[in-house]
Amino acid sequence: MVLQGEKHTMKLGFKIWVLVFTLLFAFLAIAPWKIFNSGVLISSVTSNSTAFEQGLRPNQIIKFIDGEKVSNLADYTKIISSKFTSNQTLKTTIQTKDSEFILFSNKAPEITVSELPTTNIKTGLDLSGGARALVKAKNIELSSSQLSDLISITENRFNTYGIADVRVISVKDLSGKNYMEISIAGATPKDLQELVSKQGKFEAKIGNETVFIGGEKDITAVCRNDASCARIEICDTTEGGYYCKFSFSITLSQQAAENHANITKDLEINSTAQGNYLSKKIDLYLDDNLVDSLLIGEDLKGTVTTQISISGSGQGTTQVEAYDAAKESMKKLQTILLTGSLPFQLEIVKLDTISPNLGKEFLKNIILLALFVFVVISIILFAKYRNIKITLAVILTMFSEAFVTLGIAALIKWNLDAPSIAGIIAGMGTGVNDQIVILDESVSNLNLGIKERIKRALFIILGAFFTIFAAMLPLFWAGAGMLKGFALTTLIGVSVGILITRPAFAEIIKRIGE
Amino acid sequence: MEQESFKSKFEKFHDKYYKLLLIIPLIILILSFFYISKVYSQTGDVIYKDVSLSGGTAITLNGDVDIVKLEKSLSQNFSGISLTTLTDISTRKPTAVIIQLRATVEELKPEIEKILGYKLDDKNSSVEFSGPSLGNDFYKQLLIALTLSFILMSIVIFVLFRTFVPSIAVIFSAFSDIVMPLALIDYFGIRISAAGIAAFLMLVGYSVDTDILLTTRVLKTKEGSLNHRIFGSFKTGMFMTTTALVAVLPAFLLLTSLPDSFRQIFIILSLGLLADILNTWLTNVSVIKWYCKVKNIQ
Repeated sequence: MVLQGEKHTMKLGFKIWVLVFTLLFAFLAIAPWKIFNSGVLISSVTSNSTAFEQGLRPNQIIKFIDGEKVSNLADYTKIISSKFTSNQTLKTTIQTKDSEFILFSNKAPEITVSELPTTNIKTGLDLSGGARALVKAKNIELSSSQLSDLISITENRFNTYGIADVRVISVKDLSGKNYMEISIAGATPKDLQELVSKQGKFEAKIGNETVFIGGEKDITAVCRNDASCARIEICDTTEGGYYCKFSFSITLSQQAAENHANITKDLEINSTAQGNYLSKKIDLYLDDNLVDSLLIGEDLKGTVTTQISISGSGQGTTQVEAYDAAKESMKKLQTILLTGSLPFQLEIVKLDTISPNLGKEFLKNIILLALFVFVVISIILFAKYRNIKITLAVILTMFSEAFVTLGIAALIKWNLDAPSIAGIIAGMGTGVNDQIVILDESVSNLNLGIKERIKRALFIILGAFFTIFAAMLPLFWAGAGMLKGFALTTLIGVSVGILITRPAFAEIIKRIGE
Repeated sequence: MEQESFKSKFEKFHDKYYKLLLIIPLIILILSFFYISKVYSQTGDVIYKDVSLSGGTAITLNGDVDIVKLEKSLSQNFSGISLTTLTDISTRKPTAVIIQLRATVEELKPEIEKILGYKLDDKNSSVEFSGPSLGNDFYKQLLIALTLSFILMSIVIFVLFRTFVPSIAVIFSAFSDIVMPLALIDYFGIRISAAGIAAFLMLVGYSVDTDILLTTRVLKTKEGSLNHRIFGSFKTGMFMTTTALVAVLPAFLLLTSLPDSFRQIFIILSLGLLADILNTWLTNVSVIKWYCKVKNIQ
């Protein structure tokens, strides 16, 4: 008898223990203690920069600069901006979590930093701010392999351009159409739009003959971030504003250089006041638009030269604007020359840029709402059951479900967007419903054993679970997966409910009942 | 004593008129159909689509913006403008304005900048653009998803109960749970976003809870009289719906600070739950009672 009794107690405890362990696991997955971490996270490092050469890399955590503690982004900005005020070359000691770097430079380290994440929960673009584009090829349907090619080239183009925090994925919708989804944290919609909407077909032509095109086949190196071979040369006034001219050198492949020699060897030489040039210019085309025409010096006639200078310009209403525009165009052209053209002409079918401020407001309100709902549901539960233990059990179960759902989302690195949060709330709603069923079944028909009554409650709950599961499933694919988060969190929520919290809740109620 | 006599009086009333009670939800359903088809004949669609489904631009301006001036100036160049103000949950002060219309970002943004007198950037605004063909694709797919979701739910119900009439009663009730809120949403002139249609899918799964409860209690158990079992499930079911409403209705009413697409989920779920009270406790109850009387289930 005693033995049987003990066995009974252990069995009762098992389901509750599962819940306790799951909660613990969710806690570890979310890692809320990260809120106490201090420092800033390096999110990108400009390639070929001093910082890069000294070994700074993305994902390192900066703790100290010149011995001063860096706890957050504000600290970092304060130290750096007060340090590099003149053009003097200064020594900067950057201490990361496990090493130390010393830089000598006259400007701020060429890195971007961000606040350390406070938990492992990742928020989607609509909450954290950023730009997101859904892109498809113009006029053709891409196959999966074409799409994966496109994705790797696009990623390369963004990284070369200096945007590290970019995520490019393929999405397929219900009708089988393939899209490429590009998301960038922190809003840089202009870059996104320009880097994608331009195919980036670069051609250098003399007359009708192509000398070389963009991409590594013809261009082996492009000078970047080095003022000796890539710079803004002159700025001047033009009609209604200013323009600035940039130039940078590139290295051609042997093949392209020979091409150049063959085409130029038959050209005549024109003498002008500025010097002697060949009779035809070299025309630079980007996506079939002429960007610049360059005179070719007479000494280049028929020679196999691998060093070529590329130039272009930027315009603006003020000189500063023109200077920045020129710098931008130079960076873009360098990117395109390095990465070559995209295999397809692309079309942005959806472009969202979300201000980070909006997301903060949203999160604040969601938390307030959640608290409000917890309180109101507690009150009406207590009003009905007049039992503090039962009320607490329901509320704790509801909270556990949401917490475990968040834990799973953190574990699978799911980006929680607004629809995902709606899904969590909806999951909590069905959870409460199920618990009411268990409660009412366990207090009704007292002539039946409690086990029998809970078994019947579980039938209803299982039915509800399968219907919601079936109903939400199609959302995984519809609308190019834009609402996947809603379906996913709802399904995680109800699954956690059916597998873990509901059995535990039934046990708790059984114990309270006994 | 008095309560008991009321209960038995109500039981007598229900026993006598339950078939007649079916007429109420049926009339509402027919009216809903009538209204939806009116919208369909006017717009070619059963809902009013927002820019995420019809194609167009939505610009959210952070801060307190002069909405009257904005609307007046914009309406000179654009038609079909929809403006929504978001307000802070605690202070009730306006925090943002959302402008939606069928135009490209390039057309709309300079106009707004001209009216406001400052440039829009990622600190003061958010911009969402959907191409018209994509919006249309999304819309069609979400409708397919909704249909699929309904079919899958129906299969689950059939597998659960394995009897024709009770299963059909649940499915019919779920169907009404979608049609009635849809008519109301149309009546209020709310423009539905992709998230809104997702809410309808959710409704498909969510609203059948009480129907499953009722059908299980009535068919799978034998304790007490038929009326007793129905009344028992009514008490549980109504409490379930109330708590759910308490959770979703404030989300709609209080969270005026949320983007519309998010609030829509809550208003649709709220209307669905309200419709579900009617459809479960009038339609489904009457059908299952009828079924039990015919099959002689006590």
